[in-house]
Amino acid sequence: MSETNQALTAEQAYQEDNDSALGFLKPQFHEEKFPTVQIWGYIGSLVLTFAAYLLVMNHVLPPVALLSVILTLAVIQAGLQLGVFMHLKEGRGLAWQLIPLYLVFLIAIGMVGMSIWIMLFKSGVS
Amino acid sequence: MSMPAADEHVQHLPIEFANEKESIKITGFWMFLVTDILIFASLFSTYAVMHNAVAMGPSSQQLFQMGPVMLETLLLLTSSFTIGLGIYAMRKGQARALIYWILLTILLGAGFVFTEIHDFVSFAAIHATWHTSAFLSAFDILVGTHGAHVTFGIFWAVTLLFQLKKRGITAQTARKVFTFSLYWHFLDIVWIFIYTFVYLNGRIG
Repeated sequence: MSETNQALTAEQAYQEDNDSALGFLKPQFHEEKFPTVQIWGYIGSLVLTFAAYLLVMNHVLPPVALLSVILTLAVIQAGLQLGVFMHLKEGRGLAWQLIPLYLVFLIAIGMVGMSIWIMLFKSGVS
Repeated sequence: MSMPAADEHVQHLPIEFANEKESIKITGFWMFLVTDILIFASLFSTYAVMHNAVAMGPSSQQLFQMGPVMLETLLLLTSSFTIGLGIYAMRKGQARALIYWILLTILLGAGFVFTEIHDFVSFAAIHATWHTSAFLSAFDILVGTHGAHVTFGIFWAVTLLFQLKKRGITAQTARKVFTFSLYWHFLDIVWIFIYTFVYLNGRIG
């Protein structure tokens, strides 16, 4: 039926778009014999937490660099929680939860980041 | 005709997603979390701006003791792990294991709340309350909002225990437990940022 020079039907276009561009939204659920992922997630969280603690307590870097490093560790740990424990990539209608989440991360990072940034100009107190 | 049953990649939805009406409530709960991120983001922003406005009161460097904070962090991280194992058990249909994991999560959460209250009381004893300075106002409202969330979560989990005891794992109770686990992990993420940006940053000075 569908020749190369023939226009796609709406149904075919819908199918093709879903398969190629939106394939990553297909529900995928992990089934394991043993909660290995959860255990690694927990160990990873503990390691990141204590790494940040030791970095700060030993003052290994100048303040602004140190804050940047521990905030990066926190973001990694948040990603770990989202991916491992909140099953972020599992679910039906993933686009409905992923897109607002990306959007709110953008707003939150902008709001907090700009607040931190503007306060850096009063570096006389820190 | 070829039957898809022979395909070894056939995957059944976990029980909390199996029913469309219940599944869409999980999506709805993500929308709630999105708005809660906004609440905490604005409180973090306030704290970032007020951090050094200590007036005549103590600064973060003078006030924060890392001992109780590390205890709180460990309790909450571990409770996040236990509810994660609870969801794992739930997907395997193990109702009894799920109830025990939730019970453990509640106990760890209660330990967190009591440690936090103890910490706040010790601050009040040296007159470091939210009346003292803009820094402490911002600190109390940020950490207090998180603590109130955890406290609410504990009561929520207790109601889940009763429902699981009475009805077992159904499409509805599974969805409720799953949204609770999302809430609990979300609070853990918020705490990671409080731990980093409030307490550790307070030690950096």
